[in-house]
Amino acid sequence: MLVAAAFDFSDFMQQVVSGLASGGIYALLALALVIIHRSTGVINFAQGEMATLSAYIAWTLIVNHGWSYWPAFVVTLALSFAGGIGIHRAVIRPVERGSVLRIVIVTIGLLVAINGFVIWKWGGEPQQLQGPFGTKTYDLGGVVVAAHDIGTIAVALGIVGLLWLFFRFTKVGLALRAAAVNPEEARLVGVRVTWMLALGWGLAATLGAVAGMLTAPTVGLDPQMMQAVLIYAFAAAVLGGIDSPIGAVVGGLLLGVLLNMLSYLSQYGAFDWFTEELRLPAALLIILAVLLVRPTGIFGRPEVKRV
Amino acid sequence: MTPRTQRLIGFVAFAAFVVFVAVLPAFVSDFKARDYSYVGIYLIALLGLNILTGYTGQISLGHGAFMAIGGYTTAILMAGNEEFGGPISGGMKDVWTLPIAGLVAGLVGLAFGIPALRLSGLYLALATFAIAVAMPSTVKRFEEFTGGGSGIQLFGTPELTGSISNVEILGVSLTPNDWMYYLAWSIALVAFAVAWLILRGRTGRAFRAVRDSETAAVSSGVSLARYKTLAFGISAAYAGVAGGLFAIASAFVNPDAFPIALSIYLLVGIVVGGLGGLSGLVFGAIFIFYLPLWAQGQDLGSLLPDRIIVETQKPGGAAIVYGVILILLMFVIPNGVGGLFRRVGQLISNRRYSRPK
Amino acid sequence: MRLRSGLPVALIAALVLALPVALAGSTADPGVSATAILIGGTSPLTGPAASYATVARGAQAYFDSINATGGAAKRKIEYRIVDDAYNPAQTVQAVRRLVEQDKVFAVFNTLGTEANLAIRDYLNQMKVPQLFVASGATTWGRDAARYPWTIGFQPSYAAEGFVYGQYLAKTQKKARVGVLFQNDDYGKDLLGSLKAGLGRSGSKIVAAEPYQVTSPDVGSQIGKLKASGANVLAIFATPTFAIQAYVFANRLGWRPLVINNAVSATSNTMTLASEGGKNKTVEGTISTTPLKDPLDTRWKNDPGMKQYRAILAKYAKGANPNDANHLYGMAVAYEAVGLLKRLGANPTRAGLMARARSITSAGNPFLLPGVSVKTGKGDNFPIQQGQLGRWTKGRWVPFGGLWTSKRN
Repeated sequence: MLVAAAFDFSDFMQQVVSGLASGGIYALLALALVIIHRSTGVINFAQGEMATLSAYIAWTLIVNHGWSYWPAFVVTLALSFAGGIGIHRAVIRPVERGSVLRIVIVTIGLLVAINGFVIWKWGGEPQQLQGPFGTKTYDLGGVVVAAHDIGTIAVALGIVGLLWLFFRFTKVGLALRAAAVNPEEARLVGVRVTWMLALGWGLAATLGAVAGMLTAPTVGLDPQMMQAVLIYAFAAAVLGGIDSPIGAVVGGLLLGVLLNMLSYLSQYGAFDWFTEELRLPAALLIILAVLLVRPTGIFGRPEVKRV
Repeated sequence: MTPRTQRLIGFVAFAAFVVFVAVLPAFVSDFKARDYSYVGIYLIALLGLNILTGYTGQISLGHGAFMAIGGYTTAILMAGNEEFGGPISGGMKDVWTLPIAGLVAGLVGLAFGIPALRLSGLYLALATFAIAVAMPSTVKRFEEFTGGGSGIQLFGTPELTGSISNVEILGVSLTPNDWMYYLAWSIALVAFAVAWLILRGRTGRAFRAVRDSETAAVSSGVSLARYKTLAFGISAAYAGVAGGLFAIASAFVNPDAFPIALSIYLLVGIVVGGLGGLSGLVFGAIFIFYLPLWAQGQDLGSLLPDRIIVETQKPGGAAIVYGVILILLMFVIPNGVGGLFRRVGQLISNRRYSRPK
Repeated sequence: MRLRSGLPVALIAALVLALPVALAGSTADPGVSATAILIGGTSPLTGPAASYATVARGAQAYFDSINATGGAAKRKIEYRIVDDAYNPAQTVQAVRRLVEQDKVFAVFNTLGTEANLAIRDYLNQMKVPQLFVASGATTWGRDAARYPWTIGFQPSYAAEGFVYGQYLAKTQKKARVGVLFQNDDYGKDLLGSLKAGLGRSGSKIVAAEPYQVTSPDVGSQIGKLKASGANVLAIFATPTFAIQAYVFANRLGWRPLVINNAVSATSNTMTLASEGGKNKTVEGTISTTPLKDPLDTRWKNDPGMKQYRAILAKYAKGANPNDANHLYGMAVAYEAVGLLKRLGANPTRAGLMARARSITSAGNPFLLPGVSVKTGKGDNFPIQQGQLGRWTKGRWVPFGGLWTSKRN
């Protein structure tokens, strides 16, 4: 910021790597958003808060109940899955018919209520949740890479692979897709549509739990932890195409790198007007530009309009 | 009911409401008038948003940003930005800044409406959301115009009418709070009437055609580009006026005064008020202003069975109450308060027709 | 005889004694009744700064404990906390409600620099005390002549940043300082005064990276600071981002000397940042505070800290005593009670401010021994002292005695 820096390749790569690390976090939550959108056609505003709640559950099990990490991890995923199904049965199903906005408002209500619950139960002060991949770092020719970040990105890609297998080759996965694309016909061929939609919520909640548990070690566990991430995850999901799991991951990683590149730019004399404040607006502007060229995102398929 | 009797009932109801608004401050404490002025301000923003979302079918999650544009326009015109190193010396009386606030926000809305043509549904919603997200940091970047994070202070400036002393107008002396109330509600009522006039005519029919089916609208000769951008422009102009009033009422603007949550609550307001209706929006405005306050006053412990011991007034409790009520409301009145009105209206008129003479 | 004359005398005496009370009842300022004093303030119970909600909770617990023993100025202290979600527009509306509808006697310890700036003109016009603002901006003390109804509390950010600068100037030959700061008045105040404290020494700031409170992480900023070749990292950030700064620095294998600002340097936060001892960047961090540290074993049997724990356990059930924000809340409530007690039978707002401008309180049990709270002619900064400490093996180790700031 003070002097125009000379280009340094390892500094540049370090920013790319750190962008990928942040992007991995956006990608995980974006995946959860995509799953709900695919299966129910809704953007779930409460996705971030659900992930935060899951992370707090894991934290409580580990810190307050003395569990070790992996049992707590598995139990948290199971609870989140059940919670996701519960949320769908209890509050989403009653409003499923009618305006999409109604469901959106219900998810906003969920956002507010879950956030309130977390503050009410655990307080607003930050906590620390350990990560599964430790705090080890690797120095690759001047570029430092953290085990946690590699782990986060690997998990995101692994989930994409699993989802692809699930949707393509399992009966349940196919039924889930059928229920989302055409509920009436799916019902005719014997798919239990409402349970499929509930399953979609359960899956998304589980993915959100993974996102929450991998985000907390980096950004710190506090009740607002996912609120900023959610916005970036939205942007990532839209950039990649809101129905595409691989799009979510690519979108997330791209967004993370893009933001860091924009910030890297400002070191150079000609771009000194480009300060930190403009990073996010510029990234959003670029996404908007991408959308104007591809209105359904990079991996999205054009919508078929019904007349 | 024939359309004519319907219109007549509408006129009478509106006139009665105007009278109600005019006399209300006489029956409540001075401070209540100030609260109610915020309801009026939200009503203006909701009217605008409903023209876009309820009538034209374009979801906007970024109307808080248009309010911010209006709010900053008003604040800068009133106080200027010379003290931050900007070029505007300020000094315009608060009321006169409001049309300009509406105009500036409206132009930005029109400009945004053009790229928005390419986007639909969810993608549009998220593009509008992006403006709300980008707004605060953009405001901070241009500190010399906006005062950065500290914002612009208006209280006590000569341009602000009725900071602490009474306001003499038309031979009546109004307290500052009453003045704010009448200012906000006069504009809100005019805005209401204007919205009604726009929506009942050709433009309104075109809006609804776009909402119901774009393909059908095009085939019957409605220009999508024209009406979508127009809806964006009108809607943003309403938000701009509301934002200007908001700046005057708070006597202060800064980026945090127009958070993302504001955009989201405006959407909540039109859904609670009823999409595609105007009168229900009054309740939408009351809802988004009063529910958070009401929830704060609630003792969460008393709402639960005795066996569950809950510490009262713990942070977070109010948010739980707010969220749960929002969800329940969507169950109980799926089409908002406006929908409830229509159903009651239908019940009455159906009964009249079915009754044998 | 005695009995017969005794009765009227007693009656007259009672009347005479009651008269000032009755008069006081009719002329007293808003918020004061015969049995209670109502004060109020906003706090971010929700929203991005919700971690500071515990300040108000600590204060509330202290007032409750005082009320249980008779209150102050023969009245109970009612403290009304209103949520503003850290949004100054909501602060304005909430404070106007407190003043005009609830008719509070004083606005107390409202949190946040921007929030307090937004209400300052209004409260001064209305002549309502804006007592012990919970923000370290320098303007609260510096502009006391223009805003006589406003007074701060904690050491100003300007004083704090200057102390760090001087510390580096004295102890480091050629420190190259990289600064992470919050992009608002608070961060910029600290940054500017750090620069002033470094003065003409061989040490200088080589990079300063701002972050927005709305951004999810500060990874990119820490990467750039490391790349700048800095060997000192100054963290001028709120707890969540301060913890992140440590986590990211550690992941980059970066081990600079760290300066961490007081708002994020509670033992609680430091323990979290140390990631169960795995984060090596935390060790050796320098910071300052005027408060006793809840985790410091030196205060295990300290009467003040025992009182703190007892009050918290009784009046704020479930509150975490290691969260020093509670302690800050109690320290500020203690001074408020001190002022109210000095007001006597007939509390007025003007009287409150007059006393707030002439505090001599040396025995605040929640502050470090030797830290006094005092104001007077030409001195409008209640606390101007602190203790530097070094984070060593999981706790703060004080060094170099108390500092006292003369610059604000």
